[in-house]
Amino acid sequence: MLVITRKKDEAIVIGDSIQIRILRVGADGVRIGVSAPAHVPVHREEVYELVVAANQSSAASEAPTLARLAERLRRQAEPVAPAVAPELQP
Amino acid sequence: MTTDAPLTIETRFGSLTAAAGDVVTFVAPMPGFPGCRQFVLASAPGLAPFTSLNGLDEPRPSFLAIDPHLVQPGYQVALDDNARRQLDVVEGEPLLWLALVRVREDAALVNLRAPIVINPRRMSGLQLVPHDSAYSTDHLLPLD
Repeated sequence: MLVITRKKDEAIVIGDSIQIRILRVGADGVRIGVSAPAHVPVHREEVYELVVAANQSSAASEAPTLARLAERLRRQAEPVAPAVAPELQP
Repeated sequence: MTTDAPLTIETRFGSLTAAAGDVVTFVAPMPGFPGCRQFVLASAPGLAPFTSLNGLDEPRPSFLAIDPHLVQPGYQVALDDNARRQLDVVEGEPLLWLALVRVREDAALVNLRAPIVINPRRMSGLQLVPHDSAYSTDHLLPLD
């Protein structure tokens, strides 16, 4: 891993389109500003890892009780209007 | 979108049907599946209200999904400008929202934290990973 020391308001540049700037250094944490192109997603690591784990576990999930669950949801939905249409954007 | 004959897809959720044009291209990979961009949506009458999202790229993952609004009334996750641009969303146009589901013996867990948004007009998709959210990756859907 490349290790670089930076002070407040200093930045590092990755490639020609990603810039990471130190905005504030405090006892409770470091505030960082990230500029990246739209197609480069930027995430907090712990949130990203949480979603990776959930996705991988979803892809591996067998569905032994699926038919029963689907039937219960259909029964629940019966009295109201069918709710399978795509939602409109607010 | 083409209107070819329906395709039958064998999945671990059973034999499902997809329209030939129902291929969604993700504008960014889903976290954990970096090589997967193309997915086909497939369903079956016995599977409703669930649907299934099946990867066409290796390792060809398949997922069970449900409209999060069916699971959580009032469900709302903001679509930021970046996502809107990437999916080419026009103001007010209908979007398809899907939350991934894990089924256990006693319940199902629904990922309301990171929903998938599909723009049906473009068949473009994206899994949103909001920085902050009130929703859980493990929202419990009881079996009974």
